Amino acid sequence: MYPFWEVPFFTSGMVIALIATFHILPCHLATGAFWFTVFVERKAYKENRPELLEFIKKYTLLILIFCFVIGSLSGVGIWYAATVASPRGISGLIHNYVWGWATEWVFFIIEIASIYVYYYTLGKIDPKSHLMMGWLYAWAAWISMIIITGILAFMLSSGKWVETGGFFDGFFNQTYWPQLLTRTALMFCIAGVYAAIVASTLRNKAVRKELVRAAGLWGVLGMLAGLAFTAWYLHRLPAHAKELWLDQSLPYLGHLLNVAGISYAIVLLWFVVCCLIRPKLAGPVSGIIILIVLFLGIGAGEGFREGARRPYIIDQYMYGNQIVARDIPAKHIKAEVPKFNKEGFLSHLFFRPDKINPDNKNQLIRAGSVVVHYQCGNCHALDRFGKMRPLKRLLANLEPESPEDIEGFLDSLGDYPYMPPFAGNELDRKAASEYLFSVVVRR
Amino acid sequence: MDIATYVNSMRDPAGLPFYPIVFQFLLVLTFALHIIMVNLVVGSTFLAIWEIWKRDSFGLRLSKALGRVITVGMSIAIVLGVAPLLFVQVIYDPFWYTATTLSAFWALLFLVVITLAFYAGYGFYLGNRRAEVDTAKTGWALVAAGLLLFTALFIHMLSMEQLMPQHWKEWIVSANGAVSYSGGEFHGVEFGRLLHILIPSFAVTGVFLMLYAAYFKDRGDYDPEYLEYVGQKGAWMAFWASALAIGAGFWWLGLIPQEFHFARNPFFLAGAILGVATTAYIGASVYRPQERAIPSALLMFLTVFVMCCAREALRMKHMSQAGYSIYNYPVNADWPSTILFFATFIMGLFVLYFPAVAAFEAGKVRSGQIATLDPSIGRKAVSAMIAWFVIVAGLGIIVSLKNGVLF
Ligand code: HEC
Repeated sequence: MYPFWEVPFFTSGMVIALIATFHILPCHLATGAFWFTVFVERKAYKENRPELLEFIKKYTLLILIFCFVIGSLSGVGIWYAATVASPRGISGLIHNYVWGWATEWVFFIIEIASIYVYYYTLGKIDPKSHLMMGWLYAWAAWISMIIITGILAFMLSSGKWVETGGFFDGFFNQTYWPQLLTRTALMFCIAGVYAAIVASTLRNKAVRKELVRAAGLWGVLGMLAGLAFTAWYLHRLPAHAKELWLDQSLPYLGHLLNVAGISYAIVLLWFVVCCLIRPKLAGPVSGIIILIVLFLGIGAGEGFREGARRPYIIDQYMYGNQIVARDIPAKHIKAEVPKFNKEGFLSHLFFRPDKINPDNKNQLIRAGSVVVHYQCGNCHALDRFGKMRPLKRLLANLEPESPEDIEGFLDSLGDYPYMPPFAGNELDRKAASEYLFSVVVRR
Repeated sequence: MDIATYVNSMRDPAGLPFYPIVFQFLLVLTFALHIIMVNLVVGSTFLAIWEIWKRDSFGLRLSKALGRVITVGMSIAIVLGVAPLLFVQVIYDPFWYTATTLSAFWALLFLVVITLAFYAGYGFYLGNRRAEVDTAKTGWALVAAGLLLFTALFIHMLSMEQLMPQHWKEWIVSANGAVSYSGGEFHGVEFGRLLHILIPSFAVTGVFLMLYAAYFKDRGDYDPEYLEYVGQKGAWMAFWASALAIGAGFWWLGLIPQEFHFARNPFFLAGAILGVATTAYIGASVYRPQERAIPSALLMFLTVFVMCCAREALRMKHMSQAGYSIYNYPVNADWPSTILFFATFIMGLFVLYFPAVAAFEAGKVRSGQIATLDPSIGRKAVSAMIAWFVIVAGLGIIVSLKNGVLF
């Protein structure tokens, strides 16, 4: 196991969630925006209305400043955050999907080249070629979504991959298509919000009204399609994920969906009222409020996706605490739980105290702390002020009377549908229980 | 558990999806491209400040032009950086992940700092965009320059920690058995090495200025005197920076453990010879910067690339001390996805021809005029994208039907 990184208060998982949510807005804007941009640019040339080009210039600059700074950096950010929070998880993804990411990278290069050229050559190259540049960007950006969705879907439902180890078997799995379509619909919605905000700041009143309406229409259509695709997506969730959600094993999943649903309704309403019916009402202020609502909704939706994956970080393959859950014969991978149960977890660790004498209580507690950090720390806060499912409180609810009680609980950990089994031998379990007992909040 | 057991046991259980040498080659190549862009951004930022401080009209004009180079360059540098970031995790995963988690705090702080640097770059560019104003503010550029140096320091530190596996454990496991999970480790800074990577910023930027002067020379609306100024400035800068970089290179060489005998490494020798040759060539070109621009750029690229190979050779030496070699990493070759990448890569080069030509032609016409491109170039590029989509989506539908997951 790699060194463990502990984030006070939250858990490192929350850091990823936060960065990931920040990433969604700019990246979906980056992928969706240009379909709207080329639509407007085409209109400008076709109907010979140069005044529409003011919008293009403004909108593209916003995309450059916002998407290509926050978008690309938060994308790299998710990667770093995943690395420090769950290095073996991201390593597992990369060693199976490196060529997927490398392929996506080719499209990143195309995106960055075409968007800068598009921005700086407006009015400097012939309109036909300029429009083509817009199309080039739009396709490159959407294709990058086509690729990354495969990897995200793989984490949620690894499908036939567990049998074949095949790249495409894991990639095009049961949640791939509904997820791709949902994200595509959402990207039109996000592009619509930004387009409406930018359009509402244009000087020419008639153009302003026209473009706000057009943006609203794109948003509404995207959101209506999104509803159907989301239903399909939820329907295609793996059985295990549906149980966690519908059987109320993890009630918070339902709450997250409610938050996402309410934000969805608010945004849809805003499109209808403030863009379609009374375009005057759309403006930077209401737009930014809507962006915040969207942000919350997306955060909830992605939180649902991450939560529904429990106890895995990569469906069927790796548990949330980075322990390999099963054999993948096609890749010569062996499950690790049996190994740790037999040979011990601590004995396979590098970053641990050298001396562990089972009769020395202090040493045992220290060693137990290491075991618990690795096996529970990805999902539970362990520090003194921890807020994210703090173990010391959760355990207190079970009212353990002795370390032995906790040992019994650890034995049954795998019976929870959302937690991996405890992996370790007698000594590991004993050490973990001593440590946990020493931190439980006593009433 | 000894360090060799640790690093070898931490290799990903899935093995590599293709042969390690392929990833290694891609790692070095994309790193070279990335570092050249980084050098250009760093050099341009400092030069932009200097040229404003000098308070003459050519300097001011150059600085404003550099504002655009800083922002565009930074985006390109970041995107180019994604590839080596990816490939290093594939073949050097035990080192990369250990160092990054040990210094998790700094790794994330790096992101914050680079984001701020980027916005500072934009602040400088947008604040000084208008050519008719005959002053410029350096505030944002100063902020950007400072922040860029910090990011360089952080990334340098993260690379150095990967080369120090013997020390990892003592950093976080104390003698009494307590383990630290803070992610705040910060070790291994070597200024010789850092300088050897930073000083070439001015060489790369210098060569860029030579290219700039050569490119705009037949446009007609650029003052030839200004272009001569820029070209010579670039050549002089490239010359002096290369010479200094050679000095820093020997400093770094002195810091490398004796037992590596690195001075006899063929990559190092080739890099050193190329470095000296490039310096001499540029030194001989300072009065003819425009006509010598392209050969200088090629030489410079070659030197950087070979130096990146030498850096890789050094890394392998360090890691072999910990009993690690990428060449015996288990491989589970996955041909379909490998083909997907290489086919896409070739297609990408073909597609990029379109924006490259468009940028080149647009820059060649006087302001107010319009360049007309052969419409088939753009059409072909977009058609290639659509073809990619159709093929991959078709493949996806077939795979999904075969696996029964579509409906
Ligand atoms: C993959 C993530 C994950 C890991 C790893 C994990 N847990 Fe949990 N655990 C959860 C979730 C999710 C809950 C539900 C919390 C809730 O209901 O809000 C939970 C709940 C609990 C509870 C409360 C159970 C109850 O019945 O109320 C305890 C106690 C607990 N975990 C202990 C542990 C211990 C000890 C470990 C390490 C050996 C561990 N968990 C590892 C995700 C995890």
